Amino acid sequence: MKRPARWAAALAAALALAGCGSASGPGQSTGGEHKLVVWDWKSGDPSAAAYLEKAKADFAGKHPGVTVEFVAQPFDQYYTLLGAAIQAGEGPDVMLFNGGGRIRDRVDALVPLDPHVAEDRNRLTGWDAFVANGQTYASPVTLQGHPVYFNKKLYRQAGLDPDSPPVTWTDFTSQCATIKDRTGARCFALGNKEGAGIQFFLSGLGSGALTDQEYRDWIAGNRDWSSPNVKRIFELWAETDATGLNTEGANSTAMFNDSFAKFQSGEAAHVIGLMSDVGHWQDFGEFIDPGDLGVMPAPAITSGAAPSLPFDGGIGYAVAKWTADPAIAADLVRSLTTKDALTAFHADAGAIAADTSIDVSKAGPVVSQIVSGISGGEPALHVALSSETLDLMGRLSQQLLSGSVTVEDALAQLAASDRNG
Amino acid sequence: MAAARAGRWLASVPMAALALATIYPLVFTTNVALKTRREYVLDRFAPAEAPHADNLVTAWESAGMARYFTTSLIVVTCAVVLLLWLGSMAGFAIGSLRFRGSRTLFLGCLAALFVPFQVIMVPLARTMADLGLLDTRPGLVLAYVAQFLPFTIFLMASYYAHIPAEIVDAARIDGNTTFGVYRRIMLPMGTPALISVGILDALFCWNDVLIALLLMPSAGNRTLMVGVTSLRGQYSDNIPVFAAGVLIAAVPVLVIYLFFQRHIAEGVTAGSTKG
Amino acid sequence: MGVDRLAPYVLVAPAVLILVVLRLYPLALGVNFSFTGDGERDGTAVGLDNYATLFDDPLFLGSLRNVALLVLLLPVAVAIPGLLATFIYLRVPGHRVFRGVYFFPAVLSPVIAGAIFNLLLAFDGPANAVLGAVGLGPVDWLGDPDIALFAVVGVHVWATFGMALVVFLAGFSTLDSTLLDAARIDGAALPRLIWHVIVPGLSRTIQFVFVTTMIGLLTSMFGLLYVMTGGGPGGATYLPEYYIWIQQGQLDRPALASAASTVLFLVMVVVGLLQISLLRRSGRVD
Repeated sequence: MKRPARWAAALAAALALAGCGSASGPGQSTGGEHKLVVWDWKSGDPSAAAYLEKAKADFAGKHPGVTVEFVAQPFDQYYTLLGAAIQAGEGPDVMLFNGGGRIRDRVDALVPLDPHVAEDRNRLTGWDAFVANGQTYASPVTLQGHPVYFNKKLYRQAGLDPDSPPVTWTDFTSQCATIKDRTGARCFALGNKEGAGIQFFLSGLGSGALTDQEYRDWIAGNRDWSSPNVKRIFELWAETDATGLNTEGANSTAMFNDSFAKFQSGEAAHVIGLMSDVGHWQDFGEFIDPGDLGVMPAPAITSGAAPSLPFDGGIGYAVAKWTADPAIAADLVRSLTTKDALTAFHADAGAIAADTSIDVSKAGPVVSQIVSGISGGEPALHVALSSETLDLMGRLSQQLLSGSVTVEDALAQLAASDRNG
Repeated sequence: MAAARAGRWLASVPMAALALATIYPLVFTTNVALKTRREYVLDRFAPAEAPHADNLVTAWESAGMARYFTTSLIVVTCAVVLLLWLGSMAGFAIGSLRFRGSRTLFLGCLAALFVPFQVIMVPLARTMADLGLLDTRPGLVLAYVAQFLPFTIFLMASYYAHIPAEIVDAARIDGNTTFGVYRRIMLPMGTPALISVGILDALFCWNDVLIALLLMPSAGNRTLMVGVTSLRGQYSDNIPVFAAGVLIAAVPVLVIYLFFQRHIAEGVTAGSTKG
Repeated sequence: MGVDRLAPYVLVAPAVLILVVLRLYPLALGVNFSFTGDGERDGTAVGLDNYATLFDDPLFLGSLRNVALLVLLLPVAVAIPGLLATFIYLRVPGHRVFRGVYFFPAVLSPVIAGAIFNLLLAFDGPANAVLGAVGLGPVDWLGDPDIALFAVVGVHVWATFGMALVVFLAGFSTLDSTLLDAARIDGAALPRLIWHVIVPGLSRTIQFVFVTTMIGLLTSMFGLLYVMTGGGPGGATYLPEYYIWIQQGQLDRPALASAASTVLFLVMVVVGLLQISLLRRSGRVD
């Protein structure tokens, strides 16, 4: 009897040992009355430091007794972790979301913010990306869109005029041929490894293919996947690659590091990029002289189309259902979208902030041109689609490039998925 | 004999090529870690012009790595100690004692090996939350133990099954209880296997990202590997800093391996008795 | 002595307790969960609906086909470390160096190995540069649906063969060297030596490596897939574990993910049992 007892004691000791040091760890992850926990993928970034500091200071002025803890999660795993937290029913009080399907899929776990953010309505742009069932679930922090950037230096080297970029698709492709002949650079830098290339292509060029009526119907949810103009976009997707307009190996090229790097190093004359975060003017400015970077409206693919800037709310903070006091959490969301804070975010991280009254003149002509397009801009085509349809579209786009599916078949599958979504 | 010797030289050529292929990625990573971002974007493969340790410093400081390092060290050490201890007890019982259910247990361990972590990911997070162990070090230790215990038991049981029954019987005749046999005979005899399994377990725990991410959501509780992966933000493209983080995380494991390498290879001869 | 009869149970109790609470119970929860609905039907019993959805989904079926392919590749993944261990055991020139160096990749986290090989296998990367120098056209290692899975498996083998090698070498040290010496004096050629001396002598080790390699192939490719191909191109490199992760995390369908998990678990058990019985039947296991 003596020995088992000794074993039991040893086992208890070992379990105690396993707990070593845990006392120094922080307590619960869920915030109580006096603590708010925020999840995002930005707060670890030095370029967001000034933004968060201003937001925290603003919030501390309103609720001096509440501490705020920001937890930066790796973006790769962010939505998986969030999903696990939601299913476990405990997690952060406030969380960052991308606009569109990402947040719409999860509104069951969120608090509608409409009563709390009424004052910010007119000051901020991009709300629609965070609306589901007629209610708003997050306040926009940045705007995200898909301008067509181009390298003026390559235009000049090819003997073309960089100050009047082509306005029709026909001119566009013939100029690309000239650039390829004279400089060796491809037309588009394309990375489709994540299957996101098609989203950029569809939204970046879609306003040049669809009629105004078609565009509005698409955004409103009446999408006709069999219309000739929609089909044209997907045909062009396959064609541009088959005719050598894209950089090589698109299916194995990652977008966010590789394809943008190719554009920056002059391997391609154009790239459909972003407005905020990355793959945008500030990023490109590191390697391309500001005077050599241009931005152009989408070339007109079909007659009767009026190209516009595709943009939506980019990222926004939302409030979780389980937070102790939604009003306090909503105040934190408001502090995260004050003009002061967003000004810092624009200056440091190069974001196009949701507050369009912010002065962007210091950021250069490209930014002014993008911001001037916001008033005439339209929501991006791909943001209207469900996560599931986007996932399928990504896979089909890769199959279109490798030739293992036809455009008709791909559109039929997308139509079916869209109906279910 | 001469032909055989020539054959051996022939075999060592592709083996040397493979050896280079195993080292090159580490060399590559080291090289990238010593570059500036600009150098990296312009040419990924060229040797760093002026090697500098800035990235290592940035990685260490920006991620609060010192703290993560401590967490990793504590969690992995506790987990490996527990794994070896519980694994060797259960392995000894299953491998060299006959009792009702020992076979079932062995097959159960085998079956448990076949459960990918993704399969139990969500229910496990919920179970941990119910036990109040979510976001605590003991919780992560237990999760690692649960994850790698089947492997450990399986290995120890296979090893102990090789030790002849006469040894156990002789020890019993000397007046040892089962526990005595375990402590005086089996633990010492199992040392080579314990070291090998311990190293593998330590490696698995140290390199794990998924389990630690899932069960340690708060920033202060991260493990080193999670800290390294979070160096890649949403679209972060500062690969050199990431590479520096990778190096920081890989060095301890390499050191441990080099230290124990002799033990691993020096033979598991204890189990084979002759005469 | 009564206590001693209970000793085995005392020895296994803590391990069993942990496994029941943290493996078996979550597994049962998950299986139970797979019969409930997602989204609007959250928490309601839906019978076999999730399973019907799964087997209608070409993506999931494709991932199961890939599992079959991996099982076929298994002997290769075992033979490589086995052969290397044999040569090291036979003391080819440089064997000490090889023994130390071959384990290095196993030290790296799959996430990191994947990130490195992304660079090495890029379309304009060094692998294709080498091919170009030899006069062969570039290969789209990770962008061609017929090649991508093999590329990922190749990296997986590169990253894990060191483990199997260590196990093999440990097995070799238990081998009776007099047998080998006798065979060598006979001038037995290497293939015969392997087949008649080494394989029977290492049957247990080989069985063990087979099982662990299979588990590695079918359950720990996630990190590599995630970093290297994201299941692409066009879903060509989907494996069930990746499918589970996507449904669970990206598409927020935990119940469907649980159903996929259950199917994967059953597949693993069936494959495992088949494998063990095959190895037994081949009469090479005592």
